[in-house]
Parts: sequence; C-alpha cells; structure tokens
Amino acid sequence: MTEYSIIGKPTRNVDGPEKVTGRAQYTFDMTLPGMLYAKILRSFYPHAKILNIDTSQAEKLPGVKGVITGKDTLGINFGVWRRFPELKDEQPLAIDKVRYIGDPVAAVAATDEYIAEEALDLIEVEYEPLPAVFDPLEAMQDDAPLVHDSVENNISVTRHIEWGDVDEAFKNADYIREDRYTVPPQSHTPLEVHNTLASFDNSSGRLTVWTSTQTPYYVQLMLADTLEMREGNIRIIKPHVGGGFGGKIGIFTNDYVAARLSMKTGRPVKLVYSREEEFTCTWRRTPMYYNVKMGAKKDGTIVAKEVKVITDGGAYHGLGATTLYLTGFFSAFPYKIPNYRFDGYRVYTNKSIAASMRGFGGPQAVFTGEQSLDMIAHDLGIDPIEIRRRNAMTPHYVVPGQATIESCGLLECLDEIEKSIKKRGKLPKDRGIGIAAYGYMSGGIFNWIDTPYAFSSAMIRISVDGMVDLYTQAAEIGQGSNTTLAMICAEELGVHLEDIRVHSGDTGTSSSDLGAWGSRTTLMMGNAVKMAAADAKRQLFEFAAARLAPNIVYNLDARDRRIFNKIRPERSVSYYDVVKDAIRGKEGQVIIGRGHYTPHEKGMISPAYSFGVQSAEVEVDRETGKAKIIKVTTVHDCGQVINPLGLRGQLEGSIMMAAGYGFTEDMPTDEGKVLNPSLADYKLLRYIDMPDTEVLGINTYEPEGPFGAKEAGEGLTCPTAGALGNAIYNAVGIRMKDAPLTPERILKALKEKEKSEK
Amino acid sequence: MSYHCPVCHKVSDGAKDLARHMMGQTDKVHKDWINSKGLSFSQLLIMQATSFGDKGYDTLAELLEKETKVED
Repeated sequence: MTEYSIIGKPTRNVDGPEKVTGRAQYTFDMTLPGMLYAKILRSFYPHAKILNIDTSQAEKLPGVKGVITGKDTLGINFGVWRRFPELKDEQPLAIDKVRYIGDPVAAVAATDEYIAEEALDLIEVEYEPLPAVFDPLEAMQDDAPLVHDSVENNISVTRHIEWGDVDEAFKNADYIREDRYTVPPQSHTPLEVHNTLASFDNSSGRLTVWTSTQTPYYVQLMLADTLEMREGNIRIIKPHVGGGFGGKIGIFTNDYVAARLSMKTGRPVKLVYSREEEFTCTWRRTPMYYNVKMGAKKDGTIVAKEVKVITDGGAYHGLGATTLYLTGFFSAFPYKIPNYRFDGYRVYTNKSIAASMRGFGGPQAVFTGEQSLDMIAHDLGIDPIEIRRRNAMTPHYVVPGQATIESCGLLECLDEIEKSIKKRGKLPKDRGIGIAAYGYMSGGIFNWIDTPYAFSSAMIRISVDGMVDLYTQAAEIGQGSNTTLAMICAEELGVHLEDIRVHSGDTGTSSSDLGAWGSRTTLMMGNAVKMAAADAKRQLFEFAAARLAPNIVYNLDARDRRIFNKIRPERSVSYYDVVKDAIRGKEGQVIIGRGHYTPHEKGMISPAYSFGVQSAEVEVDRETGKAKIIKVTTVHDCGQVINPLGLRGQLEGSIMMAAGYGFTEDMPTDEGKVLNPSLADYKLLRYIDMPDTEVLGINTYEPEGPFGAKEAGEGLTCPTAGALGNAIYNAVGIRMKDAPLTPERILKALKEKEKSEK
Repeated sequence: MSYHCPVCHKVSDGAKDLARHMMGQTDKVHKDWINSKGLSFSQLLIMQATSFGDKGYDTLAELLEKETKVED
C-alpha cells in the first residue's frame, strides 16, 4: 500500500467548525431585503379534475403581493428527462388535473408566512373528484382509473435486462425456488426540508436561486427550461444542505414557485416546506412487489435467476424509471449469474412520487435476493457464507452486456465476516446472526439531462501566498465531499489540507458537475480534482525545475509543502517560493489547473463498483415480536479509503437508515392520504437504538478511482434489511418476506409457525 | 429476417423483442392493435408481470411471428 501524507488519515470535516458553532448558513437562514414568503395550496383529493380556480379574494388580502396558478406557468413539464421528454410528466402547478393528495395547485407570496397561509384559505378551487387507484396491481387492470389519460393500464415505464438462456438453465437446475416479497416506501426525512430563496432582477433579467439541492446544475437547466430563460441568466447557489439522500435531485415545486413568484413580484421570495409537506409531497423510496426465482446446482452454484418487479410509482415519474432499471441491475449483484432475466414495470397510482433514495433500487434487490440465497443454502445444506463464496464476483468479471468489474474484494470481505461471526461464539436462545452481501456503483455513467454520458469538472486557482481555491459544482450535502475533495487536492499538489479552500455548489463560479447522486462524487469529481491539481502542479514544476535542475521534470514530486527531486530528495524547495516564482515570473499570470472526468468504455452503469458483506445479530422477543439489533459488523471494499473518519460516519449513517428501512419505517396510506406525516409518527430509529457497530475494510485498488478509491456509504444501505431478515430466521425460524419487519409481523409469523408445528 | 411493428414500424430482430416493444409502449394504438387480434393486452401484461417465464410475451410473439415477419 502506498503511504500518503493526507489520503488515508482520519480527517475532521473542513466545514465541521462552522456547522457545530451554528455559523453554517443554510437556505432557511437566509434573508434578503424586501423578501416575501411563499406558501403552496395543494389538492386534498387524490384524483380530480380542476374545473376552476378563483384567486381574487386571496389577491385582495393585505400583504399578499402575488398569486400564481397553473395558468401562470408556461405549461412546460419538469423532470430531469431532457433527453427523454416522454418521461417529463409533471407540471410545476397542476393545470387540468390533480393526481395525488398534495399535488400543488396554486401559490401565494406575501409579506409574512401567516398572511400567505391565510391567503391560501381564500383561494377557491372547484374540483370534480375522479375515481382513484392506490395499489399498482389494481392500477394495471382494465377497469382501473387512468392516472394519466394517455397511458394505458397505468404502466408508466417497463424495463428489461437479459443474458443467457434462463428457461433452458432452469430446466437443467438441480434446485429451484420461487419467492415473493414486498418492500415498503421510505421517507428521506432530511433534517433540512425542501426550501428555496429566489431573487429575480428585473433590470438584468437574471435570476439567482439559493436552494437545498443535490444538483445545482440540474436546477439551473431545469429552471431554464420551465421558465424559458437562458441558462446563463440563472445562477444556482447551494448553501449548506441538511441532507438529501436522493430526494433533492433536480427541481421541485419549491424551486419553480419561488422563482416564478420572484419574477412576478420583482422581489425575493422564500418558500420553506413544512415537515408535513416533506413527508407527503416529496419523493419516497419506491415500494415494490418483488418476485424472485433462482435455480442452482446441488453444490449451490447459481445457474439462473429471474426477477419480476412491479413498482408503486405514484402519480409522476420523478426518477422512478432509473430506480426500476437499477433494481433489476443490482438484482444480478454481487454474484456470477450465467443466465439472468429481469422484467420491471412501473405503475402509476394516485399517491406521491416514488423515485430515488439512497441505494437507488439496491436495498430492494438485496433484501429479496439475499434472503432467497439464504433459503437455497438452507435447503441444500450449504453454509450461507460458503454459498456466497462459490458464486461471488471476482476482479475483472464481466456482467454480460452491462458492466466490467475491475477491483472486487468480495471474497476477502466474506472471509473477514466469517472470522467476526466465529468470534461471537455460541449465541443465547432466540438470537441469530444473518448476513447479506452487496455490490454498488461508484457513480452512474448515465445522464438524463443533456449528454449521453456523465461528466465532472473542476478548477483550482493558486494565489500568490500559496492558498489553493478549489472550485467545483460537487454538492456537499452532509456526506463529507468537500473534505474528501480537499484531501485529494492537497495530496496531489503536495500541500496541507489547510491550504485548500473549497468553493462548491455555485453555478456562477464553478464548472459543471452533475451533482451528488449515485455515489459519484469521490470517483468522478475526485478524478477531476486530481487532474486539476496535477495540471497546476505541472505549471509549478516548470519553475521548480529551474531551481532544482533535475534531469527531467518528471523527476520532481511534491509533498508536505516541498517540491523535491525524487532521485535526490534532499534537494528540495519550498512550495510557497515556487508559487511566487510562478506568478511573478509570468507577468502575474494566475496559476489555474483544470480537470475533468468522464468514464470511457466502462459499460452502461458505472466505471467501478464497491462491494461488502454485513452481518447483523438480532435478538427476538417472542412475547412482543420486537427484534433488537445487538451488533452490526460491516466488511467493505471501497478501494483506497480517502478519509477513514468520514467513512465511518457514512457507514454508521447507512446502517441507521437501512436498519430503519428493514425494521420500522413505512408510509401507510388510506385512500391516498399518508397516515404518519410527522417525526412523532414516522418511526425513525434514534441514536439510542444504534447497535454496537464494527467496521472493517479490505484493501483493494480501483484503477479507475482517484488514488484507487471507490464509493462508500450508499452501497451500505443495501445489505442491512436482508441481513436482518436472515438474522431473524436464524434466531427464531421464521422467514419474513414483507418489510418492514415490524413486531406485529414478527409476532404474527411466530404464531403461524407455532400453529403449523402443532 | 426482421419484424416490423404494425403500429409504429419499429424494427425488431425477433418476434419476442417486438412483443416486448409493443407491450412496453402502453399507448392506446398499440394496445388496440393487440386487442383487435383477439388477445387481451391487459391479461397478457398482468400475466407477464406477475408470473415467472415469458408467457405474456410468448403468446403475443406467436401471433407476431405470423403477421409481422419480413424477409430482408
């Protein structure tokens, strides 16, 4: 392993001090002179025609400065699908029809929030209620109401992945099993709700928007589309963000409405969602009916897998089409499956949009696939770790037609998890350990918005005192990307971390990046930053060479604020002196390094994949059905770890989020109305529920990653629910195929098992 | 040998591919064509989506094999 001076050392977040002292500024904290406050009127019907909207009384209310409805929009649908306009099915404000409880209908800007709320009550909307449908299996029937009139049987998207000959392979399998699962929705529940401050300057025709987003670039492009403005006249600034988790990709009604009202009133407008709106009117993790058929040889070698998925898509697409594809893709991970077929169907229902959430279809795939594999292992009398060993992906494996796996430490992860399980020894009664393995992308190659490929770009500027300004549109949303990128920059340039100043998430100052989604930032933006730093370093080396007189400039290297000759390292010169030489020696020309990255010939999904195995130890109370997580051990392969401290935070956060998905979080509805839209009723795990966690890393080197790094943190939302399901089986002998694995469900299954054994 | 969609003329390599395309469009014209041939679009779709195997696509592919094959 290479010894780095900064990479691989536990490092506190560069923005930590301002966050913990309260100096960090979020969109919510911001005010501008003359600012107005906006609120949105939303449908209380799950499905209805809009016959008429009368805003006249609202407009007369003192303090109200602007009211808009669907007629005030340009009627342009929004969505990230610029390249696939048929998937843009959502209007900023409903014009003719509402399709879920919470669909936005009108908006008001007033001098304070209370007046804006009061004005909403004065807007009269005449609806004609329509029959609604809430379950995808019902929505597919011929007699179901159509959520979108042009879409027959409410099938919004279909996806298909296939290789080999699945039917032939099943005929020759020694053992086949079929299992049906259901996986629930989940709310992102970011600490910071969706909120936006927009300011339109009438004199210049320029719009500035501060918003809580994962994708400033997408917001810029999509606002340009829906407002018919030039992209360059829109500046998006992402202040500190209190979590996104896949729920803040692209633009949302808050962005559009704040911008539109600012344009109408000529004043800045701020719009902050309530927590109830956050639960009911933003995206949720996609719930699915998941059918898995697997065939294996007697020795446990998988010969075929077939997966059929029907998703409850909600009223509009969001990013649901991608979730559908990715769940099919990740259902083939992390094993060598010679024959595979996936058919996915996304179905419209009259509920809020089901789209992307951390894991992007992966958690659903792993919850189901890992339990099916454990059942095969059990039925064939094979150890669950051994069956995974026999089928595990290995380096350079090619997923037919889809991807090439370069680095892969899955086998090593299995070895380590086996050792850690053995250390636990004999477990008490009603306690069991279950495992689940996963593989996950390090950035999506796909791009929905303007080019067929993903890209990242970065720029650095070195000032005369040696301070390095790093400009990137990468979105720090609490995952630590500013720190990771600063570390990569500092390592490459050979300076200290405190020499780096990160400027991120501003379309007005940074070159383009697609934002924080699909675990792309460390690998994709990390490569761009490394390239930018290398570019600047080369410019410094021209001047360092003059001082050090190496045989060739490639003999120079930089570390710890010194530039030195690798052949004779005692010969060195101060980085600061070289910077001064470079700037003053070139007539004041500024040192700028430019970098970019786009994957070349890396398949359809990602240039690299992380892998890992997780074990969960669970104790079940047979009286109450409550399952307590005692310990979670994670062995992961994320290539070279950039920041071990940041990694640990990401992994522990993943475990909490994924354990909540497996055990407690759900969004039950009644006639389309979410029944638990508050932090009191939506069952998040709290810090007191956090189990004992152990995190172990496997050293691999990913050639595509900066310094060999891959993603960490999103992939680990995939295995926990599956590991918990397997643990419960090993504890008390019941197989739970419907998540979340609540005490009620566990108790019911225990009673059914007891009955069947009598 | 190729198979031409009778509705939008998209060309597929095989009858099953064409079946997948037609059932994946979910627009009225594709659905109406399938229904006009004595099959039920909805039943084929639900069969395909909820049961293992390719029964839905295979049933439609059998029809398309006869009606849409074009010698190149």
